[in-house]
Amino acid sequence: MTLASVLIVAAGLIGIGLYGALSQQSFVMLMMGLELIMNGALLAVLGFWSFALGGMPEGQLLAIVIMAVMAVEMAAGFALIVAVYRNRQADVTESLTTLKQ
Amino acid sequence: MTDALFTGLSALALYAGWRVFRVDSMVRASFWLMISFIAVGGIGILLSAPYIGVATVFMMAVEMTVMVIFMVMFMMNPAGLNPMMMVHQHRFSIGAGVVAFAGMTAATLLTDLPSNPVAAGKAVVHDLGIELLGDSMLIFETAGVTLLATMVAAVVLSARTGRFGDAVEGSVPPGLEPGGTPAGRVPEKSGGHHHGSHGDGRSDHAHHHEGHDHDGGGHDHAGDKEKHA
Amino acid sequence: MSLAAFPFLAFFLTLGAVLAVVLDAVARSALAGAPAGRYLAGPLRQAAMRLSGQLVTTEAPDRANWRLAPGWYGALAAAGLAVVPFDEGLALVQLPTSIVLWGAVEALVVVVVFLHGWSPNAPFPLIGAYRYVATGLPVMLPSMFVLIGAALPARSLDVLAIVESQREMWNVVRQPLGLLLLLIVGLSLTLRGPMDYADSADLAGGSSAEDSGPARAMWQAARLAMLVAFSAMAATVFLGGYLGPLLPGPLWLALKTALVLVLMVAATHLLPRMPVSRMVTFLWVVLLPVSFLHLLAAGLVAL
Repeated sequence: MTLASVLIVAAGLIGIGLYGALSQQSFVMLMMGLELIMNGALLAVLGFWSFALGGMPEGQLLAIVIMAVMAVEMAAGFALIVAVYRNRQADVTESLTTLKQ
Repeated sequence: MTDALFTGLSALALYAGWRVFRVDSMVRASFWLMISFIAVGGIGILLSAPYIGVATVFMMAVEMTVMVIFMVMFMMNPAGLNPMMMVHQHRFSIGAGVVAFAGMTAATLLTDLPSNPVAAGKAVVHDLGIELLGDSMLIFETAGVTLLATMVAAVVLSARTGRFGDAVEGSVPPGLEPGGTPAGRVPEKSGGHHHGSHGDGRSDHAHHHEGHDHDGGGHDHAGDKEKHA
Repeated sequence: MSLAAFPFLAFFLTLGAVLAVVLDAVARSALAGAPAGRYLAGPLRQAAMRLSGQLVTTEAPDRANWRLAPGWYGALAAAGLAVVPFDEGLALVQLPTSIVLWGAVEALVVVVVFLHGWSPNAPFPLIGAYRYVATGLPVMLPSMFVLIGAALPARSLDVLAIVESQREMWNVVRQPLGLLLLLIVGLSLTLRGPMDYADSADLAGGSSAEDSGPARAMWQAARLAMLVAFSAMAATVFLGGYLGPLLPGPLWLALKTALVLVLMVAATHLLPRMPVSRMVTFLWVVLLPVSFLHLLAAGLVAL
């Protein structure tokens, strides 16, 4: 277990998450992709903290901030999904075309 | 031992992450995501971050349970009885994922990474606690206030009734075909609220039951008849 | 990691489960005013019937999760018991944040019970699963506050330190409300009595309505294992765990665990159950603020 191996695993998670966020039509699945990206980011932060920062407490703080961001993302995301569904009966990205030229 | 555990947990995290987008049911997808998070939490413990690692597990368990509830609410095929593959720009997405992975891996391998590992026996949890309520208290409290603001925003966004009446008032779902009848569930017409004696029956109905402005026909007639009478 | 704790863990799980079955039977017979013998034979007969019964399946279930759910539940019970110290320094898993690990076990129980109810693809189990999520998630919050409150006097998230901090005074004396709140959490974790929204009789067995044969026996066994794990944890966090004069530590822990088991079984059989909606209101509107105040009081006392 080295910093490079941890970062490569994190890159893999981010890659899979990016694929999901770009390819999924359903809002909820799209959010799963975003969560997976955050998962990779969390792992990368932990790796850097553990191998390169000598256990500086600010590194752990950053990990906690990432967790808070995940919670915010999910709460705000689901609220938006509920609002969009109420207004337009839409649950896939294709149904939202008001900004399309 | 540590290396074997790390390899196993990494493989589990990646495999679970990949399964998220390949299974047929939303419930399975969110629990695969949870497994991916649990594996990352386990790696966190190996990386001598016991608090963050374990906290990830419990936070994600709760979060994914909530996610499942929403999944089943919003998705067709919650039970996974049919194959489910709802994707767009599939090739582009695969390409983007691969490029992102390759780019970050290359960056990792080509960079001269610093090395300053955590000293064994360092009281990391204690340090974190001191940091959270010491130097970084402002950041920590900001995160707390942000979460509170998010809760308020989520309630406002998802509440059916707002300050100015129903959240959905005046909005009609798009038709199934252009110009056709609006999509969505239209409540069955039942007796009991045909009280169009206020003259303008339509606006009266609008605030009571949001579904009724879709099937306004019947109500209008009722209102008109009373007006004429 | 101390492997010497493993025999204790196995011993606690088996003996505790047997004790729980006996206590349940005694409570039933006492309530019915009938001799206990008839009720003691009941569980044995039922277990034999279940284990030799055939496995009936539903239409298009998620077979893997359905079969694995009892295993997950039992594994969570074992993981929870693994952080309980049976004697000074004698816990299977030693982490500086072991109380948080127990919290993670509690949160994962909600997931496992949901999976168990969702996977048969049948109405009653699914309703049970949903009802459990609706009540189980709000119960998590008081649980976290209670556990943090119990960790405050120890100034540590390690269960070993929490036990050591109770040498002069048990946590139940410092925070009597904490034990009460934790018992409510425990009833929810083990799907018992007033908090049994997943597996209750009004849903014909709820999340296990479609379980049959050995699978149902396994689920019941896993519930008993969780009951034992919870009781040991409550005894450790609030009743001083292995601390006590004269007798060896593990025996003290066993006695205290048995005491919590008696309380849990009594609560199962004596307390009424509210409708789900009223319980959800109660959990959010009463229990959550009460646990806030409890944490505040615990913090002020610990200062």
